[in-house]
Amino acid sequence: MSEENWIEVGSTDSIEEEDLIRFDHQDKTFCVYRLTDGFYATDGMCTHEAVHLEDGLVMDDEIECPMHQGIFNIKSGEALSPPACEDLKTYPVKVDNDKIFIKID
Amino acid sequence: MKNNIIILGGGQAAIYAAREVRKNDTDSNIKILSEENLLPYERPPLSKDFLLNKKNEDDLYFHSSDVLKNENIDFENVLINKVDFENKKLFTKNDDVYSYNSLLISTGSENKKLSLDNNLNDDIYYLRNLEEAKTIKEKILNKNKITIIGGGFIGLEIASSLSQLQKKVTVIEIDNQLMGRIIPKQIADLVQKSHIEHGNDIILNKQIDKINKKNDIYEILLNDNSIIETDFIIAGIGSTPSVKLFENTNLKLDNGIATNQYCETSIKDVYAAGDVSNFYHPLYKRNIRLESYQHAQNHGICAGKNIAGVKTEYSSIPWMWSDQFNLNLQLTGICDDYDEIVERGNDINNGVIYFFLKNKIIKGACGLGIVGKVGRDIRITSKLCEKNTIVDKQILLDETQKLNKLIQK
Repeated sequence: MSEENWIEVGSTDSIEEEDLIRFDHQDKTFCVYRLTDGFYATDGMCTHEAVHLEDGLVMDDEIECPMHQGIFNIKSGEALSPPACEDLKTYPVKVDNDKIFIKID
Repeated sequence: MKNNIIILGGGQAAIYAAREVRKNDTDSNIKILSEENLLPYERPPLSKDFLLNKKNEDDLYFHSSDVLKNENIDFENVLINKVDFENKKLFTKNDDVYSYNSLLISTGSENKKLSLDNNLNDDIYYLRNLEEAKTIKEKILNKNKITIIGGGFIGLEIASSLSQLQKKVTVIEIDNQLMGRIIPKQIADLVQKSHIEHGNDIILNKQIDKINKKNDIYEILLNDNSIIETDFIIAGIGSTPSVKLFENTNLKLDNGIATNQYCETSIKDVYAAGDVSNFYHPLYKRNIRLESYQHAQNHGICAGKNIAGVKTEYSSIPWMWSDQFNLNLQLTGICDDYDEIVERGNDINNGVIYFFLKNKIIKGACGLGIVGKVGRDIRITSKLCEKNTIVDKQILLDETQKLNKLIQK
């Protein structure tokens, strides 16, 4: 990869459809999702309280926090249901040769 | 003339109802009348992050006054002391009058109080609102030994927070298990173990005979003649729906305000939502009353829709959580009416869940794990309960099998 900041997450078959994996890079943590129409990435921690979304439920385009059921849109990061009210940061994702990359700024 | 919608009570159900009315009705006047001179705020952090100084008052408000202003929702701090349902009017003690076309009652619930035969009633502290949380936070600063009467959610959450503030905590519970009203014993025992490991004393099966005060120390005499010495006492012994205002009216009361699945009460154009409402649940085919964050929110939203003329049935599956130390406890559905229990997991580091089944249909689940570990499966259980799903218990038992496969789309 010639462009900067595209970080390899793993192979496309490492995530089942409608599921996610946790990805840690340096001191940051992310969630990488496989939805029916492709791969997406967000920050790993819920914006409500410090809990990782890796144990949350992915349904359609939404991730639900496992602690207090705050819901975020995976594609836009929008906080959809309280107690979450602050949006989740999203990251660009691309697939190259069956490998997933996310762009971390 | 514009339609007047009044929401009596200024908590979570009220604010969600008000905003939902506005979403569906841009024209009516909407006014929240609250006894507390504070915009609606979140209560769950009061016993946890607020006591622990991880959240302050400003972090608790659902919305700023700007949001209410933008949506043209009035908020007034006022104490109503008489209701005239026939003429659709509310009165203050100074006979200020508020007229409504539709009224939502969301007055919540209030603490049950200990009744002591000496003059110590003012020495017992309770935690339900922000003012009480502030008082406790200030008063405990120079106290060491703190006793909590009542081993329910609120008592145990306070016990967890005070332990983290290096206090010596004793919890006294009358029942033979913690959280006995709704939590299965298996989970309660795991929570108890965690409290003991963190240094809290848990006393079960004991009643309080008497409390004496000597200088600044309290002596709590239990029914086995043992004595607990303590510097400060907090009680969390349950709550009752706040319905005093309606006791001599035509409004039908039955463990709160009797409400149908559309949040409608026995009186036309009067609705009730949240803790105060004992509502008909179409899935369980009986009335239930819930005191939880998710319910206050969703029931408020449902009432808001119905008040605005969007007829909407409320059939939300009960769900609640409690955070104590690094543990997150969650419960969904109905866990007290079952013929089979299925256990998934045996280590709270990965989460332990008990599923409750009746005639092979999943009815509810209760789980405990370090933060985050039971949420997904509890949420899946809620979805399965919504559809009265018959589940393969081998999948529930087997931690290697993901439960989202059980959800039928």
